[in-house]
Amino acid sequence: MDKDDNQEKGETEDIRSCDPPSVDPNLSTETDNCSKAECQNNSGDQPSTDPEQAPTENGHEDSGEFVVTMLARGKLEEQGVGMMGSCPPLSITGTSEGAPTHRDEDVMAESWRQHRKHVFVLSEAGKPIYSRYGSEEALSSTMGVMMALVSFVQSSDNTIRSVYSDGHTVVFMQKGPLVLVSVSSSRQSEQQLRGELLYVYYQIVSMLTQASITRIFENKKNYDLRRLLAGSEKILDGLLNLVDSDPSFLLAAVHCLPLASSLRDSLSQILQKAITPNLVFSILIAKNQLLTIVQEKTVIEDARLEPADVHLLLNLIGASSAFQAGEIWTPICLPLFNPDCYFYAYISYLDPPECTVCLLLLSTDKEAFYAVAECKRRIEEAMLTQSSLSLIAKAHCYSVSQVGVSDLRHFMYKPFDIPDHHKQLTQFTSPEMEAPYSTEEERRRLLDLYRHMHGRIHSSSRPLKLIYHVAERETLLAWVTSKFELYTCFSPLVTKACAINAITKLLRWIKKEEDRLFIRYPPKYSTTPNPSKTHDKNE
Amino acid sequence: MASGMQEKLYNPSLLSFFVYNPSFGPREGEEEKKILFYHPSDVEKNEKIRNVGLCEAIVQFTRTFCPTKPAKSLHTQKNRQFFFEAEDSFWIVMVVRNPWVEKTNKDGKPPTIEYQEEEILVRLILFIFLSNISTALLFNGTFVRAMETGGVELLMQKLEKFFYRYLQTLHLQSCDLLDVFGGIAFFPLDKMTYLKIQSFVNRVEESLSLIKYTTFLYNDQLIWSGLEQDDMRILYKYLTTSLFPRHSEPELAGRDSPLRPEVAGNLLHYGRFLTGPANIKDPEAKFRFPRIFVNTKDSYEELHLIVYKAMSAAVCFMISASMELTREFCEQLDSLVGPQLTLLASDICEQYNVNRRISGPEKEPQFKFIYFNHMNLAEKSTIHMRKTASVSLTSVHPDLMKILGDINCDFARVDEDEEIIVKAMTDYWVVGKKSDQRELYVILNQKNANLIEVNEEVKRLCATQFNNIFFLD
Repeated sequence: MDKDDNQEKGETEDIRSCDPPSVDPNLSTETDNCSKAECQNNSGDQPSTDPEQAPTENGHEDSGEFVVTMLARGKLEEQGVGMMGSCPPLSITGTSEGAPTHRDEDVMAESWRQHRKHVFVLSEAGKPIYSRYGSEEALSSTMGVMMALVSFVQSSDNTIRSVYSDGHTVVFMQKGPLVLVSVSSSRQSEQQLRGELLYVYYQIVSMLTQASITRIFENKKNYDLRRLLAGSEKILDGLLNLVDSDPSFLLAAVHCLPLASSLRDSLSQILQKAITPNLVFSILIAKNQLLTIVQEKTVIEDARLEPADVHLLLNLIGASSAFQAGEIWTPICLPLFNPDCYFYAYISYLDPPECTVCLLLLSTDKEAFYAVAECKRRIEEAMLTQSSLSLIAKAHCYSVSQVGVSDLRHFMYKPFDIPDHHKQLTQFTSPEMEAPYSTEEERRRLLDLYRHMHGRIHSSSRPLKLIYHVAERETLLAWVTSKFELYTCFSPLVTKACAINAITKLLRWIKKEEDRLFIRYPPKYSTTPNPSKTHDKNE
Repeated sequence: MASGMQEKLYNPSLLSFFVYNPSFGPREGEEEKKILFYHPSDVEKNEKIRNVGLCEAIVQFTRTFCPTKPAKSLHTQKNRQFFFEAEDSFWIVMVVRNPWVEKTNKDGKPPTIEYQEEEILVRLILFIFLSNISTALLFNGTFVRAMETGGVELLMQKLEKFFYRYLQTLHLQSCDLLDVFGGIAFFPLDKMTYLKIQSFVNRVEESLSLIKYTTFLYNDQLIWSGLEQDDMRILYKYLTTSLFPRHSEPELAGRDSPLRPEVAGNLLHYGRFLTGPANIKDPEAKFRFPRIFVNTKDSYEELHLIVYKAMSAAVCFMISASMELTREFCEQLDSLVGPQLTLLASDICEQYNVNRRISGPEKEPQFKFIYFNHMNLAEKSTIHMRKTASVSLTSVHPDLMKILGDINCDFARVDEDEEIIVKAMTDYWVVGKKSDQRELYVILNQKNANLIEVNEEVKRLCATQFNNIFFLD
């Protein structure tokens, strides 16, 4: 459809289809009726997935056709032919040239059992959909057993939650027609493991929408969802790696790159001016952290952008090097914002070939590629005149030594919403992890300690205000007040008096550096929707 | 109430308890043979088979990920199941219903039930479960030995007999951290009195050479034991939560009460048997001593358990079960031990009172703490005012006790010495210290204190009560 147009623009392979990977037959014909305003107003309607309009067979047909197209493209990509235009969703063939992946692992081997965390996704019919390690085929009987356990317990009007053994915790979660299972030796709490499974579920929704998933399985109970998710395993793998190593998920907050507030303001203004109808979010990312975000006024009035959606976006972009070249125009669902409809995301790195700065523009209009691409050009020009890129390149995460407290090794600080800015994106700040947390193993160990404290302090039955834990290798303090949440790590021999002093100093320092560490006032713009497509909220 | 809603809280309760061995009925159609014991017994046969099947499936499933460490517990919305492989292929399972809240609805709608899954302390229930099993093993010996003696039938009989009565005494809601420790309260004594008790034990053991082991308790606290620690802690729990309470009520009854045991006109001493012959003077009365199995891991001994009491002092004598204990023997023991024990008991009482007078009048303990030493199993609590199997009277809020349980759980994750201080939502401070096999938990009600002040308070406590024990600062 838009193939030729995209060809002209010289786009590269692995672009997601302009057609969303749902099997909705009506999408192509319904663009005019696509109630973008409904999307904007978050009425929860499913603009292009109206089940009443979809005859039940269509889903089946379309999926078949879709698969054929996918396979064809897949073949071409393998042969290294530059693919322009619509192509299968998220087929990430960027780097893999037959390199052994997790998919090839021997599931009978001890090494497979030793993995810290397994994640399995299957359908209610017991059909495998995803496994973090090992191929789904090899694991289909194991997944069958999982489903059998779920059903067995269900049959006595009960719901299975978890199984504990000395080395592992197995957690079950059912969301709609999908069953997600985590088998973890990380000693995390059940609640945290379930939260991680929820992220996996949401990432799948971000690719397919919840409404599609529901409909697909309503139509055909033993549908093989892998057909729609082929190639996207890397995205889920990437998500699970991030979840293990990035505290953003634990804190449910977004990490911003510290930036002089003048620079951030100038970038925000550039974004604010480069708008087009139906543009809803303009996001600038550098080094996988947020630089600035500008939001559409009326959209934000109804619903805020949750950190989880931002995490899913960041993962999607970061999971594939394929996004790095040229411009990408792809449908994406923001599950917490609205799990049933798509946004259309324009993704472009502004500094090839290093590809550290990424521009993300989200629109509700599927046809708006050109208009949105034009915004990017305006943004690029403005940034050129201000030499923004070189200024951004200088920005980096700070060292804990900047705080000027000797015993403090690391911290994570998350301010709570201040009433005035309750539409603000929840953020947190944290310095680089330095010695003695310089290896991946040590970093994960520290994060595990933070995770444990987080679980205790936020326990649903017996929450706490403060935890002070003196252990062999470090002393940790976690503190939750009405204004903030703070996790600090000290050397093990620190005295309590020193620790208290250190925290007082830290809080003062954060207050002083606020404008640099956080996006304090996310700017807004107003994009009047295209008049012919306006839907009154009340209609 | 405007909404007309009323809430009724139900505590966790025992749903079922069963023992099975999958190798007894491996073929289809033989499933029933796997089940060696099932409570409640009135559950339909197929239901029992289904439940056992689920346990097998779960255990099998977890072996996929670690063949040597299979499942220990299964958690669902409504209940929790705990699994334990007592011996090779003998599995014991306990199913506990989650605490729940029943909210009455107005408009005649049926009440809504809400399960409180977070409330329960899994570790606690697990320890209680294991303690049950240990007690079962103490009184029945190992499954394998039982089978060797009398086959499956004997094993099933023993299980039925033991668990049927024991499970009725299981009270899950009154359990707390002390049940995790399974410790022993020691009676504080001066050297002289201790030596008197030692020499008493020696004399009796010399005179009655059949005696293999002796333990001496006063006021439900231990003074001396010849048994291995692991066996002693189980026996101690049985004595203090089961046997002694059963016999203490009649003693407390008034002189003319029909409950008062026949002293049988013996004015020489106040000694009597708590196990065995209730009335030594009656020649027709039949009696039997309970049997216990100790040192099951090595020497495997089956012993008669004789428990003899005089006033607040209780002595246990353990004699090899291969001996037949006749009436004559009991009379001999009675006349030997009765007077000496009576004398000893009043000595101890007097000494105890003297000590208390010296140390000052009994006042509200200044610090609320629980202390446990893993090495000698000594426990001490100023929080518990009364603790039996069915009642746990503590002077602190149950939520704080649960927080203690959480800290204990955290300590169990590592071997090293640690300290954990938390401030609860109610502004109470809870301090946990683990040092060198000892654990100390202190609860402080100092709402406006900060971390440093709390630390100072706990230091003071350690200085007064535990001044020879090093805790991390």
